[in-house]
Amino acid sequence: MQTLRRISQGIFLLLFLFLFIQTQSRGADELGYPVKIFLDFDPLIFITTLLSSHSVQKAFYFSFVIIIATVILGRVFCGWVCPLGTLNNMAGAIRKRRSDRTNIAWNRVKYYLLIFLIVSSLFTLQLAGVMDPISLLIRSVALSIYPLFEYAVRAIFDALYAFNPGTADGLSEPLYSALKNSILSFQQPHFKQSAFIGFIFIVILGLNLVQKRFWCRNLCPLGALLGILSRYSVLKRSVSEGCNECGACASVCQGNADPDKKDGWKNAECLYCWNCDDVCPQNAVSFGFRGHRVDVGSKGKFAGIDLGRRRVIASALSGIVAVPLIRVGPLSRSGALSPELIRPPGSLEEKEFLKRCVKCGECMKVCITNGLQPTLFDAGLEGLWSPVLVPKIGYCEYRCTLCGQVCPTGAIKKLPLEEKINVKIGLAMIDKGRCLPYAHSTPCIVCEEVCPTVKKAIWFEEAAVRDREGRERTLKQPRVDLDLCIGCGICEAKCPVKSRPAIYVSNIGESRSGGNQLLL
Amino acid sequence: MDRREFIKLAGITGIGLSIPLNISPILIDAAVSPETKLAVASGKSAAEITKAAVNAFGGMKKFISRDDIVVVKPNMAWDRLPEQGANTNPEVVAAIVALCYEAGAKKVKVFDRPVNDARRCYVQSGIAEAARAAGAVVSYMDDRKFKNMRIGGEALREWPLYQEIIEADKVINVPIAKHHGLAWLTMSMKNWMGVMGGSRDRIHQKLDQSLVDLSLVIKPTLTVLDAVRVLTANGPQGGSLADVRKLNTVIVGTDQVAVDAYGATLFGMKGSDLGYVRVAAEAGLGTMDLSKVNIMKIDV
Repeated sequence: MQTLRRISQGIFLLLFLFLFIQTQSRGADELGYPVKIFLDFDPLIFITTLLSSHSVQKAFYFSFVIIIATVILGRVFCGWVCPLGTLNNMAGAIRKRRSDRTNIAWNRVKYYLLIFLIVSSLFTLQLAGVMDPISLLIRSVALSIYPLFEYAVRAIFDALYAFNPGTADGLSEPLYSALKNSILSFQQPHFKQSAFIGFIFIVILGLNLVQKRFWCRNLCPLGALLGILSRYSVLKRSVSEGCNECGACASVCQGNADPDKKDGWKNAECLYCWNCDDVCPQNAVSFGFRGHRVDVGSKGKFAGIDLGRRRVIASALSGIVAVPLIRVGPLSRSGALSPELIRPPGSLEEKEFLKRCVKCGECMKVCITNGLQPTLFDAGLEGLWSPVLVPKIGYCEYRCTLCGQVCPTGAIKKLPLEEKINVKIGLAMIDKGRCLPYAHSTPCIVCEEVCPTVKKAIWFEEAAVRDREGRERTLKQPRVDLDLCIGCGICEAKCPVKSRPAIYVSNIGESRSGGNQLLL
Repeated sequence: MDRREFIKLAGITGIGLSIPLNISPILIDAAVSPETKLAVASGKSAAEITKAAVNAFGGMKKFISRDDIVVVKPNMAWDRLPEQGANTNPEVVAAIVALCYEAGAKKVKVFDRPVNDARRCYVQSGIAEAARAAGAVVSYMDDRKFKNMRIGGEALREWPLYQEIIEADKVINVPIAKHHGLAWLTMSMKNWMGVMGGSRDRIHQKLDQSLVDLSLVIKPTLTVLDAVRVLTANGPQGGSLADVRKLNTVIVGTDQVAVDAYGATLFGMKGSDLGYVRVAAEAGLGTMDLSKVNIMKIDV
C-alpha cells in the first residue's frame, strides 16, 4: 500500500509542479492549461470565500469532489494527494525513525485555527489563504522557492558560459536551452519579500524534524476541515484479535491517530497512509468499509479529541474580534489607501477584493512583466501578500489578461481583451522637476512612444525654450490625457529617469473605485 | 528574356516610359548614375512583391554566399497583430528567409529586442511562426550576448550590441515604415535600436546622430522596407486600423539612407525632412537625393 500511496503522491506532486510551470505566458492570449485547478478543488478556499463574499466561482464545484471523497474515504486527500503533504513527507524522511508522539496535544491547534478562519470569514474577513496549504504552497513556490531555483541554475550556466564560451556552446548550452524550454521560466522572477516568504516555508518543512508532518498534524486548517468531514467516513480501520499491542503502528503513524489504541483510533487525525497496516507484524490491521464501529466521540469530545468548549469559544471569539481589530486602521477611510496600491486590472473594489483574495500568488506568478508583487502592509494586515502592481519593476502589458484568468476566487475578474484595455488601474502624472524636456531642455519622448492606448494618452505640447547659451530650441513636452490614460505604467517602467521616474502612476482614477476618482 | 533582365535592359537604355511595366520616369534620370539602386515592388501578395524586388537586383545570390550565416532583423517591437501595422509583415520576413536559404545560406537567424514582452511580440506579430516555417532559427535575445562595442560616433561612443548580429556573415534589415512621435517616421535606420542592449531609451536625447552612429557600425547587406501596411498616426505601435494604410509595397535597396528617403515619400515627405536621413547623408552613409537613385518599379 505504501508504494501505491507514494506513486499517487508523486503523480499529484508532479501534476502540481507541471501546472505551476505552465502558469506563464508563451505569448498567446490564453495559457492553455487549467493552472489553478488545485485551488478549485480546495474546500477550505471554497467555504471561506463563500462565507466572506457570498459569491461562488463555478470552478469551486470541483471542491465537492474532495468533500464527498472525504466524507466517504476520510482524509485520503492529506495522505494521497496534497502536494504540501507530500513535500512534508519528503522533508520528514530526513528525520530518524523514532516515535513522533508528543505529550502536548498540538494537534488541536489546527482546529482552533480552522474555527478562527471560518468565523472571521463569516464576518467577511478572508484570511484562509494565509494558512491554506494549497495557497501557501503556490505562494511560497512562486514567490520564493522557484525564483531561488531559477537563480541558482542560471548562475551555474552563466558561470560555465563565462568561463569558456567556446566549450559551453557545445556542452552546457544545449542543456541550458533544454531547461529553459522546460522547467525554467522565461526570465528570472524577482519578488519582494521572497526571503521572508521562503523562510516561513522552510520553517514549515523544517518542523518535520521536530515531528514528521508537523504541519499536517498540528497546523493545517484544511486538514482540520477534512478531519471534521471524515468524522463519519465509511472507510474505517479495524484491528483484529491478533493485535498484541506491540506499538509498531504508533511509530509509523503520519497523523496523530493513536493507531495503537485499538478502538481509540481517531479517524479525524488519520491520513489514511496505510503505514500501520503495512507495518503490523501480526497483520492485525485492516482498512475496509465494514470495519468496527469506532467511537466517533463521546460527549464533549470530537472524534476522540477533546477540543475543550472554552477553547472553541475562544477561537470563535478571536475570529470575531479579529475583524474590527484588523480593520480599525485608517486604511478603510477613503483617501487613506496608499497611492501606490495599484491593483491588477479587473480587480474588484478594494473591500470586495479583500473578501476574495486568498493570496495564492497565481497572478504574481503569471504576470508577464513581473510587475505584480506581494504587498506587506500597504493594504493593511488583511491585504498581506495580496497583489500590487509596481510599475518600476514591471508595467501592466496592454493586451495581456492573464492575471484575471488565473485568479481562483474572482478577486480579479476575468476580462475579455476589449474590456481589459479600457480598465483604468490608476493614472500617470508627470514630475516636471525631473522630466528631461521640462526640467533639462533635453529631448525625450519615451513615455509617448510606449504609451499603448489606441489614441495615445500621452501627447506633446511644443515649447520653445532657451538653453544655457541662450539658444532657442523647440522641445516636445509630454502631457497626459487623463481621459485616455489607463494607468498601465509602461511610461513609468520605461522612463529613462530610472532612479525615480519623471512619470509615475498612482491609483487615483482606478475604475474599480467609486471614491478614488479625480475627474468630474 | 525574363523580367529581371528586361528591367536591367530598360534601366540601361532608358526607354522605360515605353515599357508596359509601370517603370517610373525617375528611372530615366537614374540611368545617369546607376550606382544606387532601389527596387520598389507593388502587388497583392506580400511574399511575391518581396521576391520580385529582390530579383530586380539579380536575385538573393548577389548578396548571399553559400554557407553564410545570415541575420534577418525585422521590427517586432510591439505586442500587436500583423494587421495593425506596428511590426514587419510576417510574409515579408518569411519570404526573405526563404530567399536566403535558396541562395545557399547555412543558417538564417531572426531576432529582435522588443519594447513589449518578447513572448507576446514574437507570437502576436506572427513573425516567429512565419519565419520558423520558412526555416529560420527564431530566438529570444540572450542578455549574455550583448557586448560593449566601440562605436566611436558623435553621440554614441560605445554601447552594448548584440554579438550575433556583429558576428553574422550577412545582415538583412527588414523594417516596417511607420509613424513615430519624435523621428516622424521610423524605418530602416531606427530598426537598429533592436540590437542595442542597455538602457537604449536614452538615445532619444540625440536620436538622429545616435541612429547614424549605429548605422555606421552595423552595415546591412540589404535593406527590405516593408510598406505593405503603413502606420500613419499613433506610431510606432498604433493599435487602430483607422491609422493603417495598405500600400502593398516593398522597397529593397543596399543603401539604407536611400531606402529611408524613398520611404518618406510614401508619407508625403522628403528624405531631407527627417533628421536622421539628413545627418546620415552628410556623414556619407548613403544618398538621400532620390533624383540620383535608380528606382526600379515593379508591379506584380
